[in-house]
Amino acid sequence: MGAALTRYRVIAWIVGVALILLVVIGMPLKYGFDNPVLVETVGQAHGFLYMLYLVAAFDLARRAGWPLKRMILVMLAGTVPFVSFYAERRVSAWVTAVRPEPAPEPVAPR
Amino acid sequence: MAPNPPVYYDTVSETTTRPGTLVGMKRLWTPGWIVRHAAMVVLVVAFLALGWWQVSRAAAGNAISWGYAIEWPVFAGFVVFVWWREVRQTLRAPSADDAPATAPARPAASDPATATRAEVRRPVRASRVPAATAGPDDPDLAEYNRYLRWLNDNPGARPGDYPG
Repeated sequence: MGAALTRYRVIAWIVGVALILLVVIGMPLKYGFDNPVLVETVGQAHGFLYMLYLVAAFDLARRAGWPLKRMILVMLAGTVPFVSFYAERRVSAWVTAVRPEPAPEPVAPR
Repeated sequence: MAPNPPVYYDTVSETTTRPGTLVGMKRLWTPGWIVRHAAMVVLVVAFLALGWWQVSRAAAGNAISWGYAIEWPVFAGFVVFVWWREVRQTLRAPSADDAPATAPARPAASDPATATRAEVRRPVRASRVPAATAGPDDPDLAEYNRYLRWLNDNPGARPGDYPG
């Protein structure tokens, strides 16, 4: 669970930064200054990184036993600039909050 | 050590609706599920259409569109994957309406012959209970026991579904 959360947080942060680069810098450059180089490079990378984001979010949702609706909301949150960071904070809080570590169960030596 | 540890028979696997029967399929035709089926179809068609649009753009000379032409079908496939996984999970879960029907089916114990026969069930799967005494504190062993317990509690689940 901890590793899955870390994977999710790393890819969420990368995708969030790429999305902000794309929307805040790339799009004004392309449509305002006719320089599409950033959109072409970061845009492609963002698309494939978002696939990794989907996989990481799915993996975390499966391990944490989330309902389908929450999983889809978290996945969609990765597509909105700036909101993805907030979603990542919320997800981390959810996952770490509901984890009472179960006591180890020893078995009798035979 | 106790000479005869208590043995609990797993009756769940005998009483649940088998996945794949039409009775189980009815669970996939609730209003919530119809919305999910429709959403799946709409999303897949839309994503494939977007992929085809990118193919046409790429063919027209926009080289960057080849990447998007690959991405959209992958997203469509992911939608189908999540949908299929939800379907499998719904069919696998024990249904709420057959559980009470089987519980009070035990006959009255007036006739000893039928009573004994009703009590004897085919042993399906016995779950071991952990010993009350604290044994060696091995976290790997405890984790493995937890995994085995989970497998026992979830008949029909695959090891890859283990959430731990």
